[in-house]
Amino acid sequence: MNLIEELQQIHEQAISAVSAATDAGELEEVRLRYLGKKGSLTQILRGLGSLSAEEKPLVGSAANEVRVGIETALDEKTRAISSEALRLQMMQDSVDVTLPGRRRPLGRQHLIERITREVVEIFVGLGYRVAEGPQVELAYYNFTALNTPQAHPARSPSDTFYVRDQSVETGLKSHDSEVLLRTHTSPVQVRVMESSKPPIYILAPGKVYRRDIPDPSHLPQFTQVEGLVVDEGITFADLKGTLEHFCHEMFGSDRKTRFRPHFFPFTEPSAEVDVSCGICAGSGCRFCGNTGWLEILGCGMIDPNVFEYVGIDSERYGGFAFGMGVERIAALKYDLPDLRMLVEGDMRFLAQF
Amino acid sequence: MRVPQSWLSEFVDVKLAPEALADRLELTGTAVAAVHRTGETLDKVVVGRIVDKSPHPQADKLWVTLVDVGGTEPIQIVCGAQNFEVSDLVPVALPGAVLPAGMKIKRAKLRGVESAGMNCSAAELGLGSDQDGLLVLPNDAPVGLSFSEYQGLSDITLELEITPNRADCMSMIGVAREVAAVTGVQFNSPTYSLLDEGPSIEDAVDLTVADPSLCPRYAARLVYGVKIGPSPKWLADRLIAVGARPVNNVVDITNYVMFEMGQPLHAFDLATLRGDDGKAQIIVRRATDGELLRTLDGVERHLDSQMLVIADAGQAIALAGVMGGAFTEVSETTVDVLLEAAVFDKDSVSRTSRSLGLLSEASSRFERGVDPTGCVAALDRAASLLQEICGGVVAGGVIDSSPTPPTIRRLELRPKRLCEIVGEEIVIGDMINILEALGLNVEVAQDVLGVDIPPFRPDLEREIDLVEEVLRIWGMDRVTPTLPSGTGRSGGLTRAQSDRERIGATLRAAGLTETMTYIFAEGRDMAIPGCNSVPEDEWVRLMNPMSEEQASLRRHMFPGLLRSVSFNQNRGVPGVHLYEIGTVFSTAVGRQLPREHSMIAGVLNGRWMPKSWHDARVRSSSPKSKPGSSARVDDVLDFFDGKGVIETLLLDLGIETATFTASHYAWLQPGRSAQVITGSDVLGWLGEVHPEVLALYECEGPVVAFELSLDLLLTNAVSVKQYRDVPRFPPVQLDIALIVDNTVAASSVEMAIRESAGRDLHIIELFDVYTGEGVDAGKKSLAYSLTYRSKDRTLTDDEVKAQHERMLRKVEAKVGARLRG
Repeated sequence: MNLIEELQQIHEQAISAVSAATDAGELEEVRLRYLGKKGSLTQILRGLGSLSAEEKPLVGSAANEVRVGIETALDEKTRAISSEALRLQMMQDSVDVTLPGRRRPLGRQHLIERITREVVEIFVGLGYRVAEGPQVELAYYNFTALNTPQAHPARSPSDTFYVRDQSVETGLKSHDSEVLLRTHTSPVQVRVMESSKPPIYILAPGKVYRRDIPDPSHLPQFTQVEGLVVDEGITFADLKGTLEHFCHEMFGSDRKTRFRPHFFPFTEPSAEVDVSCGICAGSGCRFCGNTGWLEILGCGMIDPNVFEYVGIDSERYGGFAFGMGVERIAALKYDLPDLRMLVEGDMRFLAQF
Repeated sequence: MRVPQSWLSEFVDVKLAPEALADRLELTGTAVAAVHRTGETLDKVVVGRIVDKSPHPQADKLWVTLVDVGGTEPIQIVCGAQNFEVSDLVPVALPGAVLPAGMKIKRAKLRGVESAGMNCSAAELGLGSDQDGLLVLPNDAPVGLSFSEYQGLSDITLELEITPNRADCMSMIGVAREVAAVTGVQFNSPTYSLLDEGPSIEDAVDLTVADPSLCPRYAARLVYGVKIGPSPKWLADRLIAVGARPVNNVVDITNYVMFEMGQPLHAFDLATLRGDDGKAQIIVRRATDGELLRTLDGVERHLDSQMLVIADAGQAIALAGVMGGAFTEVSETTVDVLLEAAVFDKDSVSRTSRSLGLLSEASSRFERGVDPTGCVAALDRAASLLQEICGGVVAGGVIDSSPTPPTIRRLELRPKRLCEIVGEEIVIGDMINILEALGLNVEVAQDVLGVDIPPFRPDLEREIDLVEEVLRIWGMDRVTPTLPSGTGRSGGLTRAQSDRERIGATLRAAGLTETMTYIFAEGRDMAIPGCNSVPEDEWVRLMNPMSEEQASLRRHMFPGLLRSVSFNQNRGVPGVHLYEIGTVFSTAVGRQLPREHSMIAGVLNGRWMPKSWHDARVRSSSPKSKPGSSARVDDVLDFFDGKGVIETLLLDLGIETATFTASHYAWLQPGRSAQVITGSDVLGWLGEVHPEVLALYECEGPVVAFELSLDLLLTNAVSVKQYRDVPRFPPVQLDIALIVDNTVAASSVEMAIRESAGRDLHIIELFDVYTGEGVDAGKKSLAYSLTYRSKDRTLTDDEVKAQHERMLRKVEAKVGARLRG
């Protein structure tokens, strides 16, 4: 057997040894056996020097080919073994992906606050700014400047919370106090009109208070959003377009609106706004009391008497105002069975929204 | 206001179906609460006679009745009403009947006694709102006859909600005029005639109006020789249909005329009125303080000098505009009747009826205002009915304190102005038609309409009132919607408003859920240590709270949140993490409006998350449990969870200089409470609530609470943050454990490290606090991970070591720390 044949034999043996190896250790053994210092291929390569000048290049190149072949086989096998090892490791590391994840606590926004923000965003998009006012108010801002007669039932101590006025002597009866918990957000209108010049486009969200005993549909403390516009050339058509836009944004563009003439002391003409019932689409159901409509808003053109109180020329400027109860919208939108849930702080309720 | 169509159609020929009429009224400003149909559904309801009545053996307020319904035997019916006697005739619903409200009548046992039907009230039959007792029928009703047939006709009644400005619509005639105007048909004005041929009223009655400001007009007629008895059926039926209970023919006639014409009337028994010279005295005056009057409902009323009364020569006999008195009431023995039709000041009536809690059909009309020209017409109508029904003779003439002729006012309406306000081109012809349909005469002049306002529309005072009348009838639905075209505005939130929303978002991201609580402070809120020492003058007090328990406004928000903690704990909720952004109130002597402060408050209790399969893993991977007092037990939220929330919030707002210092608040647990300070501002406090306070609110501890001033957070927030170079050179990290006295605050150790190290000390992180084995009693071990890093080069180990050792020596000197071996 000449050297070339021997090399071929080494090659064949080495390749089959590589493919028979099952782990990195065995593979290293194979490498040492053929390519190590005492490996069979190494031995041949060392003996090259004693060969004749004709044989040397032939055997040398054959031996080199064999070396490259074995090395390539070793590399491939190494990769195969390690990827198999990785595969096995990953199999071991597999998890039941249906087990619950590691959640972070996430707080939620209160439903009323969320709806209020939704309303604010719609009107900010129409160029409104947000105004605020005190919750403890003067009867002047809450009633008088809003054209509410002195004997109006809303002023009576059975409807309105009166607050002790510490600037006057004590001993007054409640209906003599000029200080009260505001019964609507409308006094913000008056304060804004007093302190700024038209054009005025504002929204005033806030808490309001009425002497109602808490029950499923009443709270003594609730939330309103008031809107006010004062500008030249404001029309009832503008009021109608503004509130139709709002109702579509808030309740969906498929909902219809209707304006029913109504009476408020501080607007004229006044209207109540209904949106078509979302449950029955207007055909009448239990939810809407078989009317097909849900009352959402009160609104109207600013009464000239109100303009007179704040010193705005009602011949030059026009304006409109509107107000809505956020709790009512929440109750309608989510079919809440009991408004008292909104002030109890029940985590199981609050976390739903 | 209930309006039966049969009554309405006397004055207007309604062409629309009831639902269409209701819709039209809704869209022109008269809300329709309901459309009631009566009569047609009353199958199996018959006239019955009560033949026996005995107390129910098992129930105090029930009767067992035997009722003759025209069959061979009377039937037994259990009945809860109290207003009937044996031999009364009543409507009886037999098994199988379905009443208008949907109630199905079946044979049943009530508390063990068989009941084969139901004796009905007017409300149960859909005939009115009177549900206080059985509808007792006139004595001539035929037993066994179908009630529907007896009742004569089926009817439709509209239940209208009249707005406060429309006094005129508180009558059939007023509603008829409105219906005519909004549906475009003719209004038929009624005409009545009266023969007043008896002796003159002047000879029998003297009138003095002592307070004309509260009684602008007082008119009366006298009818002699009336025969008191039940009203004829048509009259009683109409009263029932509008929700009134028939009493006797005289009282019923006064009520009938009030419902028809809107003018409240009152009937006095002339014989009971005291006077002198054989003439009865009628004096309209203010009550004296403490004067007593028994009203028709039998209640003794204590009057004051704000209230207007009708008096005779002796004392008050009626509460003007609100209710008559019992003493002068028309009774079975009455022969001569004095009829009153007056106009009382609406504010005065409103105040009197509200302060006595006495709302009547009359007061609700006076409150809105009655037509001052309608008194005599109403007296004439009532007197003619008395003549016709009760056989009386009408005394000659009327006494009248102010026989003013009807006054017509004129308003001007600029059609151009109307179109400008509405934003729609409404033609002048439409305006004129609408105004005239409402009963207003219109005179057309250059650019302006002269509009005559009749006395029945006192609400029309200004041009804008006419604009509203035209718009509501022309149709709001016809107005084309537009958006305001004005320029010069920009929408958006102020920085404070958007920062406030951002604070909410950060608290939610930190795990807190937003809530809303009442601003009312309860008694126990005010008894909390630290709150109970606030002077009385500094609480904002309600003068008319709904309960004495909620008579003040809160100075703190945490008590309301503790109520929510307790609410949740009582329902087994394992974790409570709530925040509220709200207002607290305080005041002082001399202040009119109180101070209002916006606050952010929060509470934490229980666990962040429900127990999870992950918890066991976390525990097993942290080898030693720490016996130190600050270690948390079983993931229960404590002081440091609250502090972490506030730190997260401060980080987001860019308030880097804030510090937490141990502080005393009476409602917090000593040793677990801190003040949050930045610069000279105290932002608020944080701590675990004192166990005694928790007991007051029936809460299980620990409960962490905090309150921060929203205003101070907003003023300290950094809106534009500075760029700082991201580190470019590698860090050298060294961990050390320092032993210090237990009393040394971690913050002072950290400050000592920071001050003592050179500027290359980049980050200090406290990663362990340990007391126990291996550390002497009274000492604690604080383990820090220190990161050294230069801004401009790579530090060598030797450099860092030198800096580090220099630092350790200084720290040892400053806070007595020594390196743990």
